[in-house]
Amino acid sequence: MGSSAVGRLNAPRPALVEAGPGGAPKVVNREFVTLVREEWRVVDRWWTEDPVDRRYFEVVLESGRNVCVYRDREAGCWFAQNA
Amino acid sequence: MVACLLIPGFELRAALRARPRLALVPAALAPEAGEEPLLGPVTAAADAVGVKPGMRLGEALATCPSLVLVDRDPAAVEREWEGVLRRLEDAGFSVDPVEHGVVAFETRGVERLYGGVQPALERALAAVGTTWDPRVGAASRRFTALAAASVARPGQILLVGAQEEQGFLEPLPLSLLPLSADRYAELEGLGLRRLGELARLPAGAVAERLGVEGRNAWGLAHGGRKTKVRGRRPAVELAETLSFPEAVANELTLRRALGSLLERLLARPERAGRPFRKLAVAARLVDGGSWRRTLTLRDATAEPARLRAALGPKLGELTAPIVELRVEAVELAEHTGQQLALVEPAGEDASGRLREGLKQVRASTGTGSVCAVVEVAPWSRIPEARALVVPRDA
Repeated sequence: MGSSAVGRLNAPRPALVEAGPGGAPKVVNREFVTLVREEWRVVDRWWTEDPVDRRYFEVVLESGRNVCVYRDREAGCWFAQNA
Repeated sequence: MVACLLIPGFELRAALRARPRLALVPAALAPEAGEEPLLGPVTAAADAVGVKPGMRLGEALATCPSLVLVDRDPAAVEREWEGVLRRLEDAGFSVDPVEHGVVAFETRGVERLYGGVQPALERALAAVGTTWDPRVGAASRRFTALAAASVARPGQILLVGAQEEQGFLEPLPLSLLPLSADRYAELEGLGLRRLGELARLPAGAVAERLGVEGRNAWGLAHGGRKTKVRGRRPAVELAETLSFPEAVANELTLRRALGSLLERLLARPERAGRPFRKLAVAARLVDGGSWRRTLTLRDATAEPARLRAALGPKLGELTAPIVELRVEAVELAEHTGQQLALVEPAGEDASGRLREGLKQVRASTGTGSVCAVVEVAPWSRIPEARALVVPRDA
């Protein structure tokens, strides 16, 4: 089918993440994390039926790539997104 | 309502138009040259003896030794499909072709003309003709309409009301979803067989396990998004054909024939000075099959030398000697000429060129491929809420 619908720019993409004991990512999409550069939380829309509760991590992978991932605490899964 | 008209096995039906007797015997569309040896659509007689579409060639021949393999005929498919679309357009429907044998259209514009949804869809079926065994599904969402058409019988119209959509989709098989074979296998391994079973799973879990493809499939299992159907711009009938007294394979002769066809096409008054944006070159092969290639030009042009240079190399892809060569103007540009400038274009001139470039991209990649980014909440802390990607088809 044709893809002529309105879409969101920078929509989150599901990511395969293995987290350490503190919740920080150790492996992202089968690549080891060498450094966690930054970490922050976004809690928003808690007054709606679609609340947002995310824990973001900006990490550097073994290959040198910078990746931003977050754990969605509502859905309980990980996503990658340019924050 | 969004309606979807479906003609299953269209490529086989089109190839059998010239050999109607084969429609009554076990026959199947031959696998594409150079591809995996998997059968295309099959006739009802082949289906009755256990030959199914997508079956391996060896297995199919072992199941039915008398199976007739029908050569692919892309030129006939294109011609017949264009005929179906034009008949629908003549009946007043603004069609959005999805692929050969599948077309979507809105009924809203013609409901008053024909006195309701049902009479309008009956008119659509009549326009296509009973020889194609068309069937129609209609619903408020496109995927539901397609699903309804997929389960309808030949000549049947299946209307699904907005309130019944979820209940209608639930018992349908997962094979209606546009997924790769690996994904189907994965879903079957998880014990999922029906759209309703997938729809009942949490969206997050599906996305995590099956990725973006799975998430999209989950969305479709819920009926998919409500999207507008954008009708295509009706094509111009502009083509030139050259028949050879005997089969030709010599590249020099073919290039000369192409040059002559292009000159004849350029001289046609219907063109009204407009340059070509997209062209197709087709041939009838000596063994009865056909061959077709389309080409979107980098810039719309009417210069014979540039057209020859762009289309000439395509002739090298011919698989057999040919008895007929045809050049079709698939799409023409609106402007009649372009003045080159000494200085860098600016203002309205630059915008005009940008618009022309976008039309060229659209002609090459299809509807919905050109989008604009619209900021809606740039201050938002949620990254995906900051901007939308909106298709620009105007």
